[in-house]
Order: sequence, then structure tokens, then C-alpha cells
Amino acid sequence: MSSSQEIRLHGRGGQGGVTCAKILAAMYARLGLSVQTFGDYAGERSGAPIRAYTRISDQPITNRNKVYEPDSILVLDPTLIGPELLSGLKPGGALLINSPEPPEAFAERYPDHRIGVVDATGIARKHGIGTRSLVIVNTTIAGAFARMQDLSLELLEETYTSLGFHSNYDAGKEAFDSVWIREALEGGAAQEEAPGQEQPAPAKVIDSIQEHRESLPPLLKTGSWKTQHPIYVENLAPCNAWCPAGNDVVGFIQSVAAGEVDQAAQILATTTPFPGVCGRVCPAPCMEGCNRTEYDGSVQIRGLERWISDREGNPKPDIETPATKRSIGIIGSGPAGLSAAYTLALKGHEAHVYEGEDELGGVLRTGIPSYRLPREVIDREIGNILELGVEAHMGSFFCSTDLEELAKKHDALILSTGLQQLRELDLPGKSLSGVEQGIHFLHRVNLEKPDAMSGHVVVLGGGNTALDCARSALRSGASKVTIAYRRTRAEMPAIREEIEEAIEEGIEIQLQRQPIAFVGTDRVEALRLAEVDMGDPDESGRRRPVVSDRELTIECDHVLLALGQSTDKSPLPETWTLDGEHVQTGDEALRVYASGDIATGEGTVTHAIGNGRRVAHLALQALGEDVVVFERPDRARSVPMTDIRLDHFERRAQNSEQHLDAEARSRHFDEVNQGLVDCGEAHRCFSCGHCTRCDTCLVYCPEGIVRRDADSYRVDYSYCKGCGICVEECPRKAMEMTT
Amino acid sequence: MSMELLSANHAAATATILAGEANRDARGFGCGVYPITPQTECIEKLCRHEFTKGEVVRVESEHSAMAVCMGFVLSGARSFTASASNGLAYMVENVYNVALYRVPMVMMAANRTLGPPWNIWVDHGDALLLRDSGWIQFFCEDNQEVLDTTLLAYRLAEDHRILLPVLVNQDAFVLSHTMMQTDVPDQALVDAFLPDLDLPHRITDVPVTIGGLDFPHETEVHRRQHAEAMDRVPDVLAECEDAFEDIFGRRLPGPIVPYRMEDAEMCLISMGTTASTVREVVDREREKGRRVGSLRLRMFRPFPIAPMQQALAQCTRIGVLDRNISLGLGGITWPEIMATVPRDALVQNYMIGLGGGDIRPQDIQGIVDDLWKREQSESPKIVEVG
Repeated sequence: MSSSQEIRLHGRGGQGGVTCAKILAAMYARLGLSVQTFGDYAGERSGAPIRAYTRISDQPITNRNKVYEPDSILVLDPTLIGPELLSGLKPGGALLINSPEPPEAFAERYPDHRIGVVDATGIARKHGIGTRSLVIVNTTIAGAFARMQDLSLELLEETYTSLGFHSNYDAGKEAFDSVWIREALEGGAAQEEAPGQEQPAPAKVIDSIQEHRESLPPLLKTGSWKTQHPIYVENLAPCNAWCPAGNDVVGFIQSVAAGEVDQAAQILATTTPFPGVCGRVCPAPCMEGCNRTEYDGSVQIRGLERWISDREGNPKPDIETPATKRSIGIIGSGPAGLSAAYTLALKGHEAHVYEGEDELGGVLRTGIPSYRLPREVIDREIGNILELGVEAHMGSFFCSTDLEELAKKHDALILSTGLQQLRELDLPGKSLSGVEQGIHFLHRVNLEKPDAMSGHVVVLGGGNTALDCARSALRSGASKVTIAYRRTRAEMPAIREEIEEAIEEGIEIQLQRQPIAFVGTDRVEALRLAEVDMGDPDESGRRRPVVSDRELTIECDHVLLALGQSTDKSPLPETWTLDGEHVQTGDEALRVYASGDIATGEGTVTHAIGNGRRVAHLALQALGEDVVVFERPDRARSVPMTDIRLDHFERRAQNSEQHLDAEARSRHFDEVNQGLVDCGEAHRCFSCGHCTRCDTCLVYCPEGIVRRDADSYRVDYSYCKGCGICVEECPRKAMEMTT
Repeated sequence: MSMELLSANHAAATATILAGEANRDARGFGCGVYPITPQTECIEKLCRHEFTKGEVVRVESEHSAMAVCMGFVLSGARSFTASASNGLAYMVENVYNVALYRVPMVMMAANRTLGPPWNIWVDHGDALLLRDSGWIQFFCEDNQEVLDTTLLAYRLAEDHRILLPVLVNQDAFVLSHTMMQTDVPDQALVDAFLPDLDLPHRITDVPVTIGGLDFPHETEVHRRQHAEAMDRVPDVLAECEDAFEDIFGRRLPGPIVPYRMEDAEMCLISMGTTASTVREVVDREREKGRRVGSLRLRMFRPFPIAPMQQALAQCTRIGVLDRNISLGLGGITWPEIMATVPRDALVQNYMIGLGGGDIRPQDIQGIVDDLWKREQSESPKIVEVG
């Protein structure tokens, strides 16, 4: 029984062979044996063949030589397999190979040896082990070796923990469990590559410089060293992943950065008819997702969208010619309905939009005040949609039988009526004059003419409608405006900038106030509020308000309710049931769809635009049209901040949009936000996951084998050693290593 | 004490950290460092350590690294640096300064071949370049010895009878990058072994000029004092070894490490890890009934003349194995050893493993065979190990 053994590892620079040898040694050290472990060191570069060694003995180890007759060999890269690699391996010795190939091939080749085969690279990749750019297999293959040596999983885990590799244990365990092992065959004869004593190669003697000149060394194609190689890829940018409308945000920003504003406008036009609207009123989830947020503030994406729209308007994309022209009816002309109409029109189909009001636009027109969204922007963008051939039917109100008729008349019907049901407040005094729904107030202000308001106006609620009511009331002549909201400011659903602007304009916000009664005899004279304490988070993650018995009263002349809206299903035929975007009768799916807030209740223009397009796609797909249905990208797949090489980017604060002075703006309905002064923000964009031809890969390549090639780069793979430096240095994760 | 899997680079750094911390109640620890293969791992470990009192200064060159160390020690801190090969060569001016200012510090050299052409593997020529610099020099054979010798070196260097810097050598890669179990002592034991550094000529807030012009008669005195300090090393070293054994429970080998020398006719003399392989061949020879022994030169400066003379007294065939070359002469230790051998012994010098080749038992066996059949010595021979 041998009391000592010697192990030799063969790998390539960058695979972690020396550390692997250390892991093996550390396992045996934990068993109380003497160990020694070391690597072959040279001017080794990534990809160069390397060896590492581990000795184990129950006696003190004094051997200072390399290992020439190993008991076991580990091969981290199967391209290294050759006669020299196996030299000295004792008969019956173990050979563990990292390879995704079927193990039988190796088994046949080496009948004299105990063979183990494991796809350590595949396992390590699956577990995300390595640097930002390279898969590293050392910790994984150690697990397979432990199994071959009959070492326990417990020992493996303890060793990983002691070396600080515990996060790699799952991969090591998977290799332990999945390694394919075949014992040495009795009497088997090696078919090739009979192992023998390694004779150290004699050094080549060069007698004179003259001879050296005449016998140039052979070309060394270092590309043969690589185990992985870099490729250029496009990864999902967070702005694109976050945009509910599905806009190619990074695409339009980079076009602006390249000075191609017309191209930026065309990119926007492929997904949205409303860049001018969204460039003003979008809550801009893209800016929340922006990787620049944590660094020095997100790119002002909404401002850039408006900047493009203000300059380029709405370019008219090409209209497709479908084999069969479909006719689709759309009920409601809010952003969801018009987005659906726009999508259908671009696909060459007939879109009929039915609207109860006298003008198209729905909530854009009735709900959003003109100081945020000037009417001419709405008119321009809707006019552009109509120019594509969309038919508008104004003043159309429907009952349930009308809808059934319409469904028959059109190939498909899309319901996008929004949230028509207003939340009431069932409190004493609710019928007093001066207490009304904020939406009704806004409707008057926006569609008719500025309403005369006076005295102290209290708005109940914390969403965008509440803010719109408050600021519109101020502009309509109110002497004082107060918003009362039952939670804290952090929980107000309104756009942050809107809240800040309202405060600038002198609007008071009372937080943690719950209305309990409207006071007055005929007309409202005061509002009684209870103080609210914040409890545990509810299912939406917001802390639950707990109403206290501490009360206060504020005198007021008007109260506007902005407490939220919900779907009004009353006009639908009784047999129709709404299931998200689908409408059915019993089990039968109708060619009737719901889009926008009525389907999703997400409540923003951008969500409505994305859903309108998606539902148009769903309707066309059900009609047999060849269409890819829009799905919102998975945000989790987008390039994380940790993948951005921040060293390549100068810190530069966001360029803010210009706003009218609070004093000057708060008494009329002129647009408050004057937009960005220039498009410099586009140059702050990291361009996450999208190559900008910045040349970093070319500059950092230690081999000088990355060259510009048309719109991209060309890597000379015959010399690329797979070091991964280009991928490591890519500022924006537009490269990756692959095998 | 705890058993850790350490490279000799980390063994040196670990000992230094312990020694540096042991001076925390006095003037702490401070050093200048500059990386070079194969010692970089050593200073990286130092850089990662947060000293209770003191700091590691990362400078732009070896020359400055040594200057920083000199400043630290002269102001009462314990100090250390590490280098190798051409890095040591670049440092030389300040290496001499440290010795001649009688600065008791410790340096680790991971002995590496001097270039060009560039070579990163073991060769003792870099440390031997400093042969006459006035530093005490040890060559170690394993990781434990590196750790222990580094601790020992501080006690020896700082002894008021000595006050000289110590160079602790380890073979590039064969030790520097090879991990083995190493016993790391507790801080309390190191505190007991290494009292606070008390430098008699410490710079205080009283301005002094150091290293001004020395007239010949003054230099004669200074050189004599320096030489006498070197002469005192063997006795003080023995005291330090005793103290080390008292505190840590293990004994370090002395200036020379004899193996099966009791009745040896033939002796192979070597430094560093070559001795490990030599001992294996000695055992094989002994099995054949041949009286062969090994002698490892552990302390190169001061040169242990008397112990060598004593150990070699009965030898008739002596092989001197140098892993270095003094171009135009032969192995560097060879003429020095020649001064200690019996007058009638046959002494042959072999330069083996130049540039870091793996010296295997068969290579040593070839030397033994050559030495057995040899009738007279020849000029030094280079043995290529390929």
C-alpha cells in the first residue's frame, strides 16, 4: 500500500491549474497527510500550456523535483492531450479529463488507465464561475477528482470553505456527482501513446548567431493555445428592458450621439407614435433602470426623446402591404387605442377608432393638463396617426348590443376604454357642494376652458391625477392649494419631478392624513382629517396606513377627490368576460381584446403604448397574420451595473431640463418644462451591451490582433490566445468569451 | 500555533508580520516594497496586512524601497523588504548603506537568475552579488526554515553586539511558489522572542548628521567594528537558536547542516534546496556501502570557517556544488570552501542548475560517480541538467 502519491495537472494559463493543485493538496492536508504543491512558472501568458503538481505523503516531503512519474493526471484542457502529456503516468494510474465529449472515446483510447471524464467547463459556466470574462474550471474539476480519489463530499466542502471558495462548492459537487469513471482494464494494451519515461528534451544548441539567422524559428500560432475566444455580442440594455413601450432606447440615444437625429426619430417611430407625448409625461422607467443612476445620475432619457421629437417630429415609417387587409375596430382613443391603431396601420390594415368625445386622445387630452402636455403636441402626433389612414369615429358612445354588432362588423375588436370608474369616498358630507371628483374638474379645465377656482382647494390623493388637480387648481385661480395624502412622500405614486414642481409652486403637501368627514351646511367649509401612522408593508410593498384617533380640521372651499380609478365594465355585453387582454364568452375566445388600463391597470402612457401594440399583434396573430407579438423584455437579463467598466467613463452630472420659474408659471397653463438645451446627455450614455466602436478592445489586446472591420472588429483567431483582456476591458459588455 | 498551507513567499511575509506586530508597543513596523518575480506574492501579503502600528510604502523602485526601510529602522521601526535578481542589483547602493549604517533589518531574496536574457528561475548569483556588502546571509531549504529564520534574523540583527542587516534567501519557485504545511507561531510567542527594537543610534528630534565624510583612520575603525560584529555572529546566533528553541519548541539548524558526515570519505557541499536532493543520493550511496555525506552551507556570511574545517576534516573527496557562477573563475562558494578543506583532499567544483533547471537525483548521482573515479581535480565544471 503506497503511502504517497504524486499528481500532475495539465492546463492552460488562466484555467487556474495551480490553484486546483492547491485545492487537492489542501484536501489531503485536512486528512493529516504531508503535502506539497507548486506550478511550473514561466513567462506564461493566458492560454500557454502550464503544469502544476501535488505531492501527498504520510512522511515529511523533501523531494524538490517536478513530478515525472505521476500516479494521477488531471487534464483541464483536452486539446493538450498527446504523448508528452501522458509521459510517466504509472500503469493503472488515473487520468481525469475535462471534456464535453462522450467519455467512451477516451476510455477506448486508454485501456491501461483509470479514466474519469467530466464537463467541468460546462458545469463551471452554468454556475457562473470565473472572472467577468472567463470561465475558470479549477474548482469544478477538483470535485470530480475528489470522487475519483474516493474522498468525501464533506471533505470537499470543508476544503472549499477553508480556502474561501465556498461559493464554488455547488459546481464542485455537480462535478463530483457527474464525473464518468471507468476502471483500468485488465490486460488492456494502450492502442496509442504508450506512456513511457519522459526524457527531458535536450536544449537546442545554436552554435552561432549566423546559424540562428538562417534557421528562423517556426511560426507559432498562439491561437492554438486558446480554450475560449472573444466574440462581439449585443446585450440587453437596461433602458430597453425597462421601457414598457418597448422603445429601442439605447438605439435612439446612440444615434443622437452619432449626430444622426433623423435616424433616432425613425427608431422611435418603429415602436411609438407618441415620442412628443412620452418625452413630456412619461414617468421614464428607463431612467430608473439606467446604469448611470448609481454612478452620477441617470441619462436624461425622457428629455432626449422630447428633444428628438421637437426637432424631427414624427417620421412616417414604411407601411407594409398585407396579403389580406383586415379591419379592426378600436373602442377608445387613449394612448392604448391609438398605439394599437398605429401598429395596425403600419402593418397595412384598417383601423377604426371609436371615441365618445369630439376629439381623439382620451386621457392625454382630458386628463393631462396643457402646462405638462401642450395641445399642439397631442394634435401633431394624433394627426400623424390619422395620416396613416386610421379612421376616426367621434362622438360614439356604445351600449352592449352596439359592441356585439361592432365585433361582427370588424375582423377583431379592441377595447381600450381606460379606467372610467372613479373611486368615491363614502364619508359624512360627501354630497356637499364644492366636493367633486378631480377627474371631472380636469376634464372641464382641459376640454372646455380654464375653470374659475377660488379660495383654498384641498386635493385628496397622491398620484399624478392629484398633482394635476392641485396644479391646475392653482392655475385656475385658487388662492391656496393643499394635497392631503394618507401615506408618506416616498409612497406617493406621482412622478417625483411633478411633486417637486408642485412644492416649488407653493402647493402644500400634508402627509399621513386620512379624510374622515367633509364639514359644512350646504357648501363644504372644512375637511376633518385623522393622522395616520405607518404600519407593516402590504402586498404592494408599501407600508400600510394605520388611522389614529388624532384629528385635525382644515378650512377649505373646494375638495377634489383623486383617489384612483378602476375599470368600468358596465357597457360590456353580459356574456363577455374579461381575462387580461382576452375577452371570451363562456369558454369561447372572442376576437375581442382588451388593451391598456382596462386590461392591465398599469396607468401610464408608456405602458398603454406597449400594450396597445401588443394587443394589435395578438389580434393579427389570431387572424392568422405572421406577426411577432411584442413581449416586454426580461429586466433581469439586462446588463447589470457591475458589468460596466466605470473607469472608462468620466463622472458628469445630468444636464437638467429647463423649467419656467415657479413664480412665472403657476398662474397660467404655459408649458412648464422647456426641455433640454442640447443633446449632450446622449454622450453620457454608457451604451450598455451595445458596441460603440470605441476601440478599447483594439487598444487593450496584448497581441495586437484586433482590427477594425467595417462596422465592427475582426479578431485574428489564429493568434488570439483567449486571454479575455478585451472582454474584461470592454466598457459596456458588448463582448463575451465563448468556447 | 497553527499549521497552514503556505508558500515560502507567504512564510516570509507571515514571519515579518508577526515580527512587525511584536514591535507595536515601541516604534512599530514600516517598510518600502517594490514587486519583482518571484517575490511579489510576499510583499502582496504584507500590503494586505493592516499593521497595528506602521505601514507598507509602495515605492517606484528597489533602490527607494531599501531607502524607505533604512529610514524606518533609523527612526526605531522594525523593517523588511524583499527582492530578487536584477531588482537586487538595482538596490545595491542602498544595500551597502544599510549595512554600513549598521541598520538591523531583514530582507528576503527569492534567488533568481540575473538577466539578460530574462530568466525567472533559481540561481544564487543575485544574493552572492551582495557577498561583500556587510550583510549576514542565510540560505534556506524549506518553507518552515524560511519562516523560522526570518524570526531568528530579527533577534540576531537587533542584538546590540551585532546591529547588522540579515538577508534570508529562498530558492525561486522551488520554495517561493511551493506550498507546504508550515507551523505558524502565535503572536504571543513571537512577542516573547522579539523584544521591542531598541536602536542605540535611533534618530530622535535632535538633529544629527549621518554618514558624513570618514577619514581613512576613521574608516579603519568603522570597518574593524563591522568585522568584529560579524565575528561575534556565531556565538550570538547560538544564543538566539537556544532562545528560539525555548520559546517555539523546535531548533533551527546551525550555520552548517551536516548529513551522515560522521565517517564520510566523500562530501557534497551545497546551498538551498539542492541539499534535499543531495541527501537522497547520499542515502542511495550509503545503501551501497559507500561513505558519502552531505553538508549544507546554511549561513554564507559570516562564512563558518571553523565548523566547516571541523566537519570536513576526514573527507578525502569533496564536491562543491554551486548554483551560481563567477564568470572567469567558477562557482562563488568554491574558493571560499577551498580555504576550509583538508590539504590533501580532492576538491572538484560543479556548477549545477544554473538558470533554474530541475536538479534531479540522477544529476547528483552523475557528480558522485564522477567524483569517485576522479584521480585529480580539474577546473570548475558546468553540469547541465537540461
